[in-house]
Amino acid sequence: MHKKAMVVGAGVAGIQAALDLAEMGVETYLVEAGPAIGGRMAQLDKTFPTNDCAMCILSPKLVEAGSHPGIHILSLSEVLSVQGAPPRLHVTILKRPRYVDESKCTGCGLCMAKCPTKVSDPYNKGLSTTKAIRIPFPQAVPALPVMDAKSCLFHLKGKCGVCKRVCPAGAIDFGQKEETIELEVGSLILACGTKEFDARLKGEYGYGIFPNVITSIEFERILSASGPTGGHVQRPSDQAVPKKIAILQCVGSRDASVGNEHCSAVCCMQASKDAIIASEHVPGLQSTIFYMDVRAYGKGFDRFVDRAQQQHGARFLCGRIASVESDPRTNDLKIQYIAQDGSVHSEMFDMLVLSVGLQSSESARETARRVGVKLDASGFIAIEATAPVDTSRAGVFVCGSVSGPKDIPESVMEASGAASAAAAVIGECEVREMHVEYPKEKDLRGESPRIGVFVCRCGINIASTVDVSGVVEYAATLPRVRHAQEMLFACAQDSQKTIRAAMEKHNLNRVVVAACTPRTHEPLFQKTLQKAGINPYMFEFANIREHCAWVHQQEPAKATQKAKDLVRGAVTKVLLAEPLYKKSLGVNKNALVIGGGLAGMTAALDLANQGFQTYLLEKTGQLGGNLRHVQTTLDGHETAGKLAELVEKVNGHPKITVCLQAKIRDIAGYVGNFKTTLDEPAMEIEHGVVVIAAGGSEYEPTEYLFGQDDRVVTQRHLEELLHAGDKVALAKLRTVAMIQCVGSRDEKHNYCSRVCCTTAIKNAIRLKELSPRTNVYVLYRDIRTYGLKERYYRRAREKGVFFVRFDPDTKPAVQSEGDGLTVRVHDAILGATLELRPDLLVLSAGIVSNPDNKTLSQFLKVPLEADGFFLEAHVKLRPVDFATDGVFVCGLSHYPKDISETIAQARAAAGRAATVLTKSSLEGEGKVACIRDGRCSGCGACVSVCAYRAIELDPKLRVAVVNEALCKGCGACAATCRACAIDLGGFRNEQMLSALGAL
Amino acid sequence: MRDVQDKLRATAKDLLASGKVELVLGFEPASLPMRTRACFARTADAAERLVWNEFCSQNLAAYLPRLFEKPAHIRGDWTPPKVAVVTKNCDARSIIGLVKEHQLARENVVIIGMPCQGMVDPEKAAATVDERIAQACLECVSPSPIGADILIEGQSRPAAADRFQRVKDFEALTPAQRWDAFVKEISKCTRCYACRQACPNCYCKSCFIEQSKPSWAGAGDDLADLLLFHIGRMFHQAGRCVECDACVRACPMGIDLRLFTQKLVKDVEELFGYVPGVSLDDLPPLCTFQSDDSECFVTGPGEE
Amino acid sequence: MAFLCNWCSYAGADLAGVSRLQYPTHVRVIRVPCSGRVNPLYIVKALQLGVDGVLVSGCHPGDCHYISGNLVARRKFALLKSFLEYVGIEPGRVQFSWVSASEGNRFADLIQKVSDDIRKLGPARQLKKEAR
Repeated sequence: MHKKAMVVGAGVAGIQAALDLAEMGVETYLVEAGPAIGGRMAQLDKTFPTNDCAMCILSPKLVEAGSHPGIHILSLSEVLSVQGAPPRLHVTILKRPRYVDESKCTGCGLCMAKCPTKVSDPYNKGLSTTKAIRIPFPQAVPALPVMDAKSCLFHLKGKCGVCKRVCPAGAIDFGQKEETIELEVGSLILACGTKEFDARLKGEYGYGIFPNVITSIEFERILSASGPTGGHVQRPSDQAVPKKIAILQCVGSRDASVGNEHCSAVCCMQASKDAIIASEHVPGLQSTIFYMDVRAYGKGFDRFVDRAQQQHGARFLCGRIASVESDPRTNDLKIQYIAQDGSVHSEMFDMLVLSVGLQSSESARETARRVGVKLDASGFIAIEATAPVDTSRAGVFVCGSVSGPKDIPESVMEASGAASAAAAVIGECEVREMHVEYPKEKDLRGESPRIGVFVCRCGINIASTVDVSGVVEYAATLPRVRHAQEMLFACAQDSQKTIRAAMEKHNLNRVVVAACTPRTHEPLFQKTLQKAGINPYMFEFANIREHCAWVHQQEPAKATQKAKDLVRGAVTKVLLAEPLYKKSLGVNKNALVIGGGLAGMTAALDLANQGFQTYLLEKTGQLGGNLRHVQTTLDGHETAGKLAELVEKVNGHPKITVCLQAKIRDIAGYVGNFKTTLDEPAMEIEHGVVVIAAGGSEYEPTEYLFGQDDRVVTQRHLEELLHAGDKVALAKLRTVAMIQCVGSRDEKHNYCSRVCCTTAIKNAIRLKELSPRTNVYVLYRDIRTYGLKERYYRRAREKGVFFVRFDPDTKPAVQSEGDGLTVRVHDAILGATLELRPDLLVLSAGIVSNPDNKTLSQFLKVPLEADGFFLEAHVKLRPVDFATDGVFVCGLSHYPKDISETIAQARAAAGRAATVLTKSSLEGEGKVACIRDGRCSGCGACVSVCAYRAIELDPKLRVAVVNEALCKGCGACAATCRACAIDLGGFRNEQMLSALGAL
Repeated sequence: MRDVQDKLRATAKDLLASGKVELVLGFEPASLPMRTRACFARTADAAERLVWNEFCSQNLAAYLPRLFEKPAHIRGDWTPPKVAVVTKNCDARSIIGLVKEHQLARENVVIIGMPCQGMVDPEKAAATVDERIAQACLECVSPSPIGADILIEGQSRPAAADRFQRVKDFEALTPAQRWDAFVKEISKCTRCYACRQACPNCYCKSCFIEQSKPSWAGAGDDLADLLLFHIGRMFHQAGRCVECDACVRACPMGIDLRLFTQKLVKDVEELFGYVPGVSLDDLPPLCTFQSDDSECFVTGPGEE
Repeated sequence: MAFLCNWCSYAGADLAGVSRLQYPTHVRVIRVPCSGRVNPLYIVKALQLGVDGVLVSGCHPGDCHYISGNLVARRKFALLKSFLEYVGIEPGRVQFSWVSASEGNRFADLIQKVSDDIRKLGPARQLKKEAR
């Protein structure tokens, strides 16, 4: 059999896993319970900390998954059972009816427009209404309506059937039944996500009772431009613009009373983001965030929170809400809260947003049960710290929040990591090339342009406003147009045949379709041209639906005139079209991994296991990196064994070449064709990809008497003492104090090192286990035991570890007095100064970036951020990639992270790298930049504006040279060139000017 | 000034005699009084022809791109020459700009920095000594040579305090007044392209205005085409113009190009904090960006 | 005449259509891969060809599909707009904006505003090449 896999759950994690698998040549089934893919991310307004529009960055992924030849989307489907062992897993799927024939429906939306039954819209969390038959949201993939049988009049009463009558494609099928599908796949990935906590269970906050108490996800919809209020911030009771809102954190998180001990990992940042965005919508808006700890533990998060406070008037108030009352007349909310010093306050707010936590969903638990994988105590799929994408069942992997709440980038990392693991299991199976064969392309040289124009009525979508026949008549009069006709649905399958027949009959070599938006439909018509033997770039789209008929419904005459203009513009542009070809590029199948720590070794092993020769460079004389200094994982496993096993596997792997004491002189080349020269050992390596895993290191403190007094150590020292030191002496310690955020979250290192809270808690617990009588104090600013790590925080408190919160402006003072140490700290909760006399003071030193990063970034032409860590291509959706293709990052090179996250990211980097290495050649874009040598003076402006490093200067000839395989076709170079010496295929200056002239 | 000229000749002779450079590009007397022309001195003897006076207004950097272009008749490897250039500070900044744009390698050029008292505007040559200095030189904020390889000592004129007064005055006019003034100036243009030929930045092998496929403008003297040419050329100077005034001196019709090119200089300085031709380390402003660049020009739909 | 980047603003215009938001009919859209593709000369040329106003809209800063195309463009447009207004081109003839894929409303409002601005100015004659 050939390589096949299945991904269950099509949120952002599942989509990423499916895309990576498909790009590795694995035919992938993407099973989604709902009618469309996208998951929770599709409902978000913006994403932190960059405030990118969530739909803008997600929707290209939706479209890609929807159109990828290697991905089959099974919507409205769930897994019933999985039998067998990898690489032969037998999966039974239940597919529920859509009542719409997916093969016939064109997604025109007429049924939705005419359906008389209004129902509340789940996409907008019930804040608006939609119809009983509906396309779930405008960007939905598949872009097909689904019928809600529970509210459809025909299903309920056997009457109505309007949708069936109006459907021009005959796609409505009331008779559809549930069906089961049997599939055999090599491996399976579970990505079924979480569900939000039901805020009704915390009745004291008044959700479901008071109209102006809403959940955070409802607030996201209100903030969203595509949401129920069109992006106008309004409160539900009276549509008034709120001036003062309260946001309450940890609703259904960190709360044993509702059975959710875990932290939901995303809400602190979500609240900060919502406060920022709300204040952008409503200038002067005051928001108050009631929190327990601010968990801004990711890249750029602390700075983001600072921004919310300093520039957007967000007040972060450490305290809990005790009660909420709603004024029956105004619906304003009177909120009583307890501040951290115990004082009780009361304040009026216009609105209360409950940051509802994420918890395991019944359906995910049921799926896990059917698949036969173990769950942990909180109902998430159980994983081990050293195997973050493996489940208890062989051949079944996991990614995303179904194994614990997490943010988008961690979900995406795990998705790529799980894809890598899932592909490795079926490594032996054959790859099936997923190419479609097209007839040989006609040589158009010397042929004069013969244009065909096809104008779509789109049922009545276009035709009800635009005089389609008039447009066709007009089009026929345009120069070089040899054929013009109208079509009911240009996108329907039989229309493609009609177009091809017309092309043949009239010997057409250029086509214009006037219909809907090219963003979704251009590829379809391009394929039709290819099938007719015409280069797919001899095509232009005129958007007369979204940009004309739909937006000028009251002005049919003007809309018709505009449609004619748009057709004329497209005809003019296509007249100058030239055949374009995607440049392909050979790929060297070797991989280079820089750094022999946990991340580097994990990535190297994954790559080698997929059959790629891998070179692992380590600058020291020993593999292991920082892992050699970590003794146990948070869940109590010793790491020494894992390290030894890993080193042995790496050293023993026939496909891995380890170079110790390696010194890089130079890295040249680009994706698929890198060449690295080493000074030590003197050698040259040719490789197709690079994985950067160069690590980071523990900050060496200069504060708190470190280095001056032997009793001041770092967590790393303590961990070594706990592991191999004198246990008797340790047990005799009366008092141990720990200070958090040493070398983190300060002016020089304005970021959270992410692991120190957990490390401190891990070591505090071990101290307490060793000697319950030892007093352990943890002096902290915020305890950031995000996600499932929260249980260990709880356990530490149960064991009697004292936690003392201090403010950043009153840092602890440490003195060596007489024969002892004195630590004075102002306890922000007690409001009093504590004086401790610890026998041992442990500093939780942060993680700093590797100074080598700078050189590496110059070699590989990839960016670093201000703190010296590598800056990935996109902080949400491309967490291991760079804009420069073929270069990937993982581990501490990217940002501080724990063992589990490092492994997940390393596997992700390997997975992403494998999507390059599995291909025999890489295909570039068709519409790319090209240079006219005679005009180019080699000034280099294009080189510096190219984000993809696709242009280089030839120093001898003094001209720029485009690497067409790397060019993504943005055209920034062409717009920058003063001499018009560089132009963009498909959007050439000549075409643009003629279109300008025609419109 | 004679003293300065002697020092310059001695330096040039030394450079040529020692073989450090193959060519010293400087000024020699032209056939008309109160004019100079470019002098290509290749031997120590020829260096005797070099002069330095208040008529050395030409920006010699304009010759450099050609000098460092591999001649078409040479096949195979070619070693670019080493050239010393006699420069005022504005000319030196042009050279730095050209180096940044890869038109020559910094190590192939020796910048001889001259003290500058301001150049004479030939139109005003009859006036008294103090009043005949060119407008651009009166407004020059950095007349002393900076960053030259060889510095010829001497007195430079004091730096002007504010060079943008004319621009600010123009900004204060109404759009209609500005438009009328702009059209009035540009209408004088005969499309001789002297401004372009004189400008060291206009080294394009093919100027957009003369291209076909697409043709950006017609070939005649239609005002619309003149406007397009000048707006285009001026915009191409954004972030590159060093205010050397070469275009203004070259224009036979006396178009006040400076009033407009200076606006771009001012904007580039204010918006991006960039002064052209000063440092080799930063990228030209239109080749890069900052994530927090000004957004003040962006239209929001709700604004009035 | 509106130049819209394919990934955000064109998508925002699509969403305006899907949402059936009505706006004036005068606008003609030219799809470009990225706002960074728009050569400043296009804008001048459009006015020469007799267009009454030009709008360029790209992704919001940070959202660019091509990472930084809109940021490079932002600098060009800042200078160009200031320069054109300096030489006396009526303010409002040339406008720039950011519209994301989810901002159908913003797109419609933007077109309404730009259209109103241009209507107030009347037909553009300044750079227009009159037929002879």
